[in-house]
Amino acid sequence: MEYFSEGFATALTLLLALDPETFSAVWATGVVTVLALAVSLLLGLPLGFALGHFRFPGRRGVRLFVDWMLSLPTVVIGLIVYAFLSSRGPLGEWGLLFTVPGMAIGLTLLGLPIIISMTATAVESTDTRLTQTLLSLGADRWQLLLATLSEARFAMALAAASAFGRIVSEIGIAMMVGGNIKWQTRTITTAIALETGKGEFATGIALGIVLMLVALVVNLLVNLLRGRSNGASVGRLA
Amino acid sequence: MSAPLFALRGIEAAYNGASVLHVPKLTIPRGSILGLAGHNGSGKSTLLKLLGFLLEPTAGVLEFEGRVVDRAAMRAGHLLRRRAVLLGQDTCLLKRSVAANVAYGLRLRGLPAPEALLAEALALVGLDYAEFGQRSWRQLSGGEARRVALAARLVLNPAALLLDEPTTGLDRASVQHVQRAVLAARKARGATLVIVSHDVEWLKSCSDTLLTLEDGRILG
Repeated sequence: MEYFSEGFATALTLLLALDPETFSAVWATGVVTVLALAVSLLLGLPLGFALGHFRFPGRRGVRLFVDWMLSLPTVVIGLIVYAFLSSRGPLGEWGLLFTVPGMAIGLTLLGLPIIISMTATAVESTDTRLTQTLLSLGADRWQLLLATLSEARFAMALAAASAFGRIVSEIGIAMMVGGNIKWQTRTITTAIALETGKGEFATGIALGIVLMLVALVVNLLVNLLRGRSNGASVGRLA
Repeated sequence: MSAPLFALRGIEAAYNGASVLHVPKLTIPRGSILGLAGHNGSGKSTLLKLLGFLLEPTAGVLEFEGRVVDRAAMRAGHLLRRRAVLLGQDTCLLKRSVAANVAYGLRLRGLPAPEALLAEALALVGLDYAEFGQRSWRQLSGGEARRVALAARLVLNPAALLLDEPTTGLDRASVQHVQRAVLAARKARGATLVIVSHDVEWLKSCSDTLLTLEDGRILG
């Protein structure tokens, strides 16, 4: 038990002393997560809305593809992105391998299907009754689109929180595409793996505490949003 | 003499190729109340959706306010739906306050929504603005929610108010409020009403004309 308590005490010291190496990993994690989440939201919200709202040929196939992307192992995503960004890959000349933007591309592929799928589900679940309601109140096409997005706002925020949680805690893509370079692409998860492997248990615990706090906040947020989103059914008339 | 609000000739409606409604001739005068009775699946709600421009007929001529509603008119269907407003069985409230729900249709039309107007509409359905105005949609009972939905349509002062089972599933007090509001809509505002209900006694008491539908056809 001494081993644990010593590691925990050193971890707290590192955090309270704002240890540069520890916080470099925290900073890299923050930057890459914000980038990946921003792109996932920018692309995923309109695509998810279109998938949930419109009926078009091949829609089920697209839905199947998105759901398949959700279950894709992260190391496979990392492998594909690595192959594209490596010097011999089609995007090799962009020089993105082992960089933060390169990692963000990989993590976007992780977050994007979550946003698309959850937004589509949110829009689908509100659509039938909501569309009838808005049309009967006199909404034109644009008003219908905007109001539907507005009504699905809790569910879309839930999608964003879920994607954030998945991206921030990912390791496979970060390791393969980022290369775990100290002061540059070393994130919380890759640093924990490395430091623990080196026997630097305290650093691993310190970073683990940060990650757990982030996970706790995200889960609290998700629970709050899920409650509000589920409450939507109360809106149904008798 | 002014044209009737609705005039239907040879109207057919179908779902997935199967005919569900056949109306050779139907005229609904302005300011009248038409009651529609019939069993489930008899075509009542389909007829209401046609009159509310939420469904296009597969054949026949539909005239509204003296004008034929053709494909071109249906492309700007929201302009028609702003005149003939439907409160359907699938209607829901928006995730907003009661006041915002009642004001929503006015805002869609770019019209002001003064508190006095919202309060008047809520009073018609027996709800006090001071008590309910800022209440969230999630704090309403089923009966209150339906009355708010009705108020949100009454405030629009439409030419036609189309009500699909407005009292189904409500408690006695809510039913009375809805029934009073329906009569007030005609008396105070001159609205034309088409009401679908299983409560035939109520339809008999409030309608100028009561029609019964069976298998998509009007029996009389």
